[in-house]
Amino acid sequence: MRNLVDFLIKYSTWFVFTFYVIISCIFLFDKNPYQHHVYMTSAGKLTAGIYDMSHNVTSYFNLRETNEELQLQNARLEEELLSMKAELQQYQERYHADTMTVFEPVRPYKFIIASVINNSISRPYNHITINKGSKDGLRPEMGVIDQNGIVGVVNVVGENYSRLISLLNPNFRLSCKVKGNEAFGSLVWDGKDPQMALLEELPRHAVYKTGDTIVTSGYSLMFPDGLPVGIIAGSEKTIDDNFYTLRIKLLTDFSRLSTVRVISSEMSSEIKEVETNNTEKNNQKN
Amino acid sequence: MLKTVIQFFILYVLMVLAQVIVFNRICLFGYAVPLVFIYFIIKLPVTLHINWVLTVSFLLGLTIDVFSDTQGMNALACTLMGLMRKSVLHLYFPREDDMTSSQPSMRSLGVSVYLKYVFSISLIYCTLFFFIENFSLFNPGRLFIKIASSTLLTFIILTAIESLRSRRNEKRL
Repeated sequence: MRNLVDFLIKYSTWFVFTFYVIISCIFLFDKNPYQHHVYMTSAGKLTAGIYDMSHNVTSYFNLRETNEELQLQNARLEEELLSMKAELQQYQERYHADTMTVFEPVRPYKFIIASVINNSISRPYNHITINKGSKDGLRPEMGVIDQNGIVGVVNVVGENYSRLISLLNPNFRLSCKVKGNEAFGSLVWDGKDPQMALLEELPRHAVYKTGDTIVTSGYSLMFPDGLPVGIIAGSEKTIDDNFYTLRIKLLTDFSRLSTVRVISSEMSSEIKEVETNNTEKNNQKN
Repeated sequence: MLKTVIQFFILYVLMVLAQVIVFNRICLFGYAVPLVFIYFIIKLPVTLHINWVLTVSFLLGLTIDVFSDTQGMNALACTLMGLMRKSVLHLYFPREDDMTSSQPSMRSLGVSVYLKYVFSISLIYCTLFFFIENFSLFNPGRLFIKIASSTLLTFIILTAIESLRSRRNEKRL
């Protein structure tokens, strides 16, 4: 017994060292980002509180650029609204005689406005912290956009804060297509340039040219169909000959994220329910 | 004794805040990231038992990890750093008894030895950290530039902090 105690004391440093290394490795190799506990991430109360305080100061820094971008978007939306109003007017006139009512457009998506309080672009796996949480109706796997394009997807939700997986994170793959073309591929960041990403697995028959816009495909439930993501900047050489890989210039400027919109989809829970029901039924059949 | 503990606790909080609020947002030319919080590990007294050094290093790394969403990367690098710290110091300063105080500083070690010590620690830490961080996305050229530029930036900032602190101490005396 005495020998054992002596042994433990003599080599205590190695035991302590091994213990800490093992704990670190457990964190390090836990690859499922959706299972992290909220207190171990930047969405925790203390950590997010500190980021919130510093955000109160730094949020003023980029107001000019943000304002300009908003003005531009506003102008674009106004144009779109006017043209749509004109179109609607035409239809109303045309169908007036047929007593056909014009449908109220279905609006399955709702936006929740949030501020980015912490953000990184220099790491290989980037995350973003925002100041809205489960109290405001956020749930994991909701999509997040800003005035220019796609930002990321909600990942860990705290009471008042949440952590997002940034688009600049190889763990996040986004289903996208070339605008005006139904061929779709999968957008993923390659860890190099925060302005560039890769569109992989685009079928060989897809027609595209440099400068075309890439939009979301709407196949994932996080983002509606047709949100702008980036612009084709060129193509990459691939090993697989059946697919193209394109280099995409992202529209979102991740170095200046300020206000973002979380997309809360009324439909997504319904679609998900249908999907799970189907798979359950299939499983029962089998 | 208690005074030193409180001093180090304040240093811990200050270093964590400085790192997560200021230095984490700096990224020069897309490569150089200053990892300034290791100043705390550099300043730990040499007389402190190695088990305590490992414990506080691990906790420091874990705190930084929680803030910057780097699961376990800093915790692992800091623990390894805590183990190597004393050997690095012995490389340049073989006899601890010659030190005027147990805390490594410009005055207790001499300027050149202290700078060598800080540079080695920065280099080792940046190497460890970026190796762990880029474990799966391996790109040797990029990794090398990242390590070299971050080491240099960290070293410059650490030297600046130390010279500010030692000048203030001189005024007080």
